[in-house]
Amino acid sequence: MKILKLATATLAVTLLAAACGGATPTSVTVVQTSIVKETQVVKETQVVKETQVVQQTVQVQVPVTPVPVPGTQVLRWALEGINEPSTLDPAKAGDSQIVFATSLLFRGLVQLDAQLRIKPDGAESWTVSADTKTYTFKLRKGLKFSDGSDVTSDDVVFAITRSLDPKVGGGNGAYYLSNIKGAADFTSGKSDKLPGVTALDPSTVQIALEQPSAYFLYQLNFITGYILSKKSVTDGGEKWYEKPVGTGPFILKEWQHNQKLVLTPNPYYWAGPPNQLKEVDLVFYGGDQGSVTAFKDYQTSAVDVIGSFGQTPIPSQFLPQVKDLPDFKSAPQFFVRYIGFNNKLKPFDNTMVREAFARGIDKSKLIKLLGDGAARVQDRILPGGIPGSEMKIDTLAFDIDIANKLLTDAKFDKTQKLVLTYGAEGDNAKVVEFIVQQWKTNLGVNVTAEPLELQTFSQKLTDTYNDPAKGLQMYFSVWGADYPDPQNWLSQQLRTDVGNNNGHYSNTDFDGLVDKADVEVKDVTARLKSYNEAEQIAVTEVGWLPLFSPNTNAMVKPYVTGLVFTGQGIIIPDWSAVRAQ
Amino acid sequence: MQRIFRSRVVLISALFLALLIAIAIIGPLVYTVDPATGDVEQLRAFPTLSHPLGTDDSGRDTLARLMTGLRVSLAVAVVVELFNVVVGAGLGVLAGYFGGWIDILVSRIADMLFAFPGLLLAILISAIFGSAVTGFAGGSGRLFLVSFSLALVGWPLMARYTRGQTLSLKERSFIESTRALGAGDGHILLRHILPNLAGLIIVSATLDVASVIVSEATLGLLGLSAQPPQTSLGKMIVEAFSYITLNWTQVLFPGLVLALLVLALSFVGDGLQEYVERG
Amino acid sequence: MAQFLLRRLLQLVFVLFSITFITFIIGHLAPGDPVLAMMGNRRDPKLYEQLRRQYGLDRPWYEQYAGYLLGVLQGDLGKSYRYAGRPVWDLIRQGVPVSASLGLAALTLSVLLGVPIGVLASVRANGAFDRASMAVMLMLFAVPGFVIAGLLQTLQVILFQSGLPNLPTSGWGKPENWVMPVVVLSAGTMGYLARLTRASMIGVLRQDYIRTAWAKGARARRVYMAHALRNALIPIVTVLGPSVAFVVVGSFVVENVFRVPGIGFVAVQAISTRDYPVIQSVALLLALIVAVMSLITDVLYGVLDPRIRTQ
Repeated sequence: MKILKLATATLAVTLLAAACGGATPTSVTVVQTSIVKETQVVKETQVVKETQVVQQTVQVQVPVTPVPVPGTQVLRWALEGINEPSTLDPAKAGDSQIVFATSLLFRGLVQLDAQLRIKPDGAESWTVSADTKTYTFKLRKGLKFSDGSDVTSDDVVFAITRSLDPKVGGGNGAYYLSNIKGAADFTSGKSDKLPGVTALDPSTVQIALEQPSAYFLYQLNFITGYILSKKSVTDGGEKWYEKPVGTGPFILKEWQHNQKLVLTPNPYYWAGPPNQLKEVDLVFYGGDQGSVTAFKDYQTSAVDVIGSFGQTPIPSQFLPQVKDLPDFKSAPQFFVRYIGFNNKLKPFDNTMVREAFARGIDKSKLIKLLGDGAARVQDRILPGGIPGSEMKIDTLAFDIDIANKLLTDAKFDKTQKLVLTYGAEGDNAKVVEFIVQQWKTNLGVNVTAEPLELQTFSQKLTDTYNDPAKGLQMYFSVWGADYPDPQNWLSQQLRTDVGNNNGHYSNTDFDGLVDKADVEVKDVTARLKSYNEAEQIAVTEVGWLPLFSPNTNAMVKPYVTGLVFTGQGIIIPDWSAVRAQ
Repeated sequence: MQRIFRSRVVLISALFLALLIAIAIIGPLVYTVDPATGDVEQLRAFPTLSHPLGTDDSGRDTLARLMTGLRVSLAVAVVVELFNVVVGAGLGVLAGYFGGWIDILVSRIADMLFAFPGLLLAILISAIFGSAVTGFAGGSGRLFLVSFSLALVGWPLMARYTRGQTLSLKERSFIESTRALGAGDGHILLRHILPNLAGLIIVSATLDVASVIVSEATLGLLGLSAQPPQTSLGKMIVEAFSYITLNWTQVLFPGLVLALLVLALSFVGDGLQEYVERG
Repeated sequence: MAQFLLRRLLQLVFVLFSITFITFIIGHLAPGDPVLAMMGNRRDPKLYEQLRRQYGLDRPWYEQYAGYLLGVLQGDLGKSYRYAGRPVWDLIRQGVPVSASLGLAALTLSVLLGVPIGVLASVRANGAFDRASMAVMLMLFAVPGFVIAGLLQTLQVILFQSGLPNLPTSGWGKPENWVMPVVVLSAGTMGYLARLTRASMIGVLRQDYIRTAWAKGARARRVYMAHALRNALIPIVTVLGPSVAFVVVGSFVVENVFRVPGIGFVAVQAISTRDYPVIQSVALLLALIVAVMSLITDVLYGVLDPRIRTQ
């Protein structure tokens, strides 16, 4: 669900000479800074996609003649946080662990590379019309499903339409594919046709958009855009996904319910089946103890990869004992944990009060509390790596004097009842209790920390959105990027009355800026500049009070190669480079 | 009364319990370190002079937290066990003794409550009454709610238990002869049945304390119990357990208090049982 | 007896009916919303309405309940919200055998160890064995399951890292996967049973008929086994009924920690995602087990103590 993205200052390329026979792999690490300017030349028109400074860690496999790989070559990957996938249907899957599992079985027209740029997958190439509202995809020649049948444009149209079909009832299609022409009427049931997606010929698919969009291909890259075999879905009945047929690198060999998914290489995978791996086991570690159990299994070498999902990293208490091991991988991810204020309710309808509360927290201490390396201080809306995050923002620094002066100027009554609400989960209690102490010490304000059972909390947030007058005063929340674009953070979080704007922050200048930027496609610089100005407004007025951005903290056995850590967790650009033991 | 304490173990246990209760009540007044404020430079510290029992995962003083936690755990245990004994044992005895529709009603309600999603009930209770109760009684209000939830699903075990014993007791010869002598139901229940059950009620109630304290912690983890900065023995153990490999003392102290509390309770329970059954 | 069974059968139907109703009502009154749980932290009012319609949650509660009840009567437990339309029956069918066999193993172990220890302790009440064994049993009971589980797992990690033979820290399917879950699951019940047996035995040993038995010169073994234990078993039989229910679902911690694919896990997850059809069905299943066990218990009372008439 959370698609993330990475970028910043250095480029580290690890050149990995593959082990021949039993020889030790030699690796060369090259660190360099580069400005990546990607241009994509297409037939009718030229689209400059993005210009930015990127940082990435890339492992490039030096091609060698295929040599039989020793060991069992079973890659065992922990899916913490789920005890059983709710489904493997790309139209319905939601949890990021299941999204990952699905992405091994199915694939779409496009995919992300290690730098989180869009590159071809099921589509060999595509063109964009002059008004940037029509995409025409040419399917890869000879593209086959995992059952050996040919992929046609009908299958693509079927799959995308199905993701939006209210009768199928997936949650994500209506969100990720909402910009497709006619999607709104189709999902609401007003129309039974989706005019935006059409098959021009057996190998050509055309997608028309409602609005120009710089991030449409990112949205299309989500699992709701994956190609399905029309035949297998219609013949398979309700539980067709138990025998999934897709264009991904693997096929499902066995689904051991409540235990694991056993995958084997897809012999028809277009990039060549990753036959060097005998098997990929996706092992479920559900419940609140899941990450702890996974950690113990890792210690006894019963699993090779743990902590690879943003929401379920290695439990922070284990960090001190593992952070110096070569297995330990820590990477920034596109998550921001923040405090939201109810802007329609006293006292936080007052910008001065919000600013005082923002300046009253020493976030560097919070990072120490969470453990060094577990998180980074976050002072703005965009987490590092999202395009636009490299542009400067004036942030609200920790300053007790200014904070107290603001409270005095705002005639803030320190005796009033204040409540900070949160869902009881993970380290939320730890963070909130710390924040409350900070405000008490620095501002002399008594705030009650109110834990709620998770679903009760989510209900209260909805109530706050629907009726702010009866809603929460302030709440501790989190946002993780669905795709690496500032629109997903600014327009979809803080624009007036937008679906996720629980705190009802509202500023007409902000709205105008993001509205303009959302539909700007051609001038990337101008687009990012508009977002930057909007972000500055939101930071100054404390639309959110960002606290920190947690890292992905994972462990990968040293013999496992080919995994790339990005802002959105692990990406495997080339499965043939992956080795297990 | 003296006879209860004939055994030295029972005497020591009783004194220890009294001490724990005293610490829970007046401890925080004497040892005034703030249990809510942490020091991020001293996370998970081992015992030192400034922190006699070390610090927790947020750098908060463990001794101070232990004392407030003890208070919460004892309060929850007392409320739940009171309910358990009064309602559970009471209904169980009545059901076993009178049989008929009372028995059917009590037994079937008990059956239902065993199968009941207690967690869901706790969620519901705290959602409906949560804000009202905290408004009225502050953070302790939530404690009362969690106790009530635990008690509501806890009493059937005690009821089944006493019912089974009563069924057997009421057929005993001494009860039959008392009845033949013209004693009323009330007399038989109070004078003969209850004293014979007292031992088992006490043992089972004291045994239950440990699981009540742990259950409270489980609900606490779901946000259904004490309001921060309040904590509880169970919650301290659960939290500290997650970093036991880094600092085992943080599990040890609350764990030791809980273990000793349960041991002492059970010895006192045994003493009481002996006293009641002999006396 | 036939009349007794018939009457109990009617009561059973009533219990089952009530439990579906109460669970349903509580589920719907409790805050939280299965659709919100499905949608995650993203809000889309249109989609919300659509999903509510799709799962029939926009209908009035009595219609929803009636629909559920009709389904159950026809043997259809409905479909899970969370597991994208998978029949609840599927989830239960997969989980119950695992939980039941694990629970049965644990229960057997705890009875086989707990009851004899309790009897032995009662023979010399307040003696050294009594004190020591009861303290251990008390600790087994008092120490939370997850602590025992965690310690056992940590022990395996240490064994593994020292190159010594060790058990898998989690998983299911191989015989060695059973050891730790069974030990953890039986520890609490064993402690409880041992202490209960002891208390009950001590009470019984003071009874007149035991004194009579001694006076008549019966051998110690016969006094303890035939006279005392038989009566002392009554409270133990009483708790065995609910214990079965506890181990079927109460093994949540164990199933969670050791990744055992049982029903306890399904049940708790269903509550945390407000998956009503699953919650209701698990409650129904449990109620059935408990009611049957309590029927068996009542029959056993009569067997153990013929004076208790099976009414």
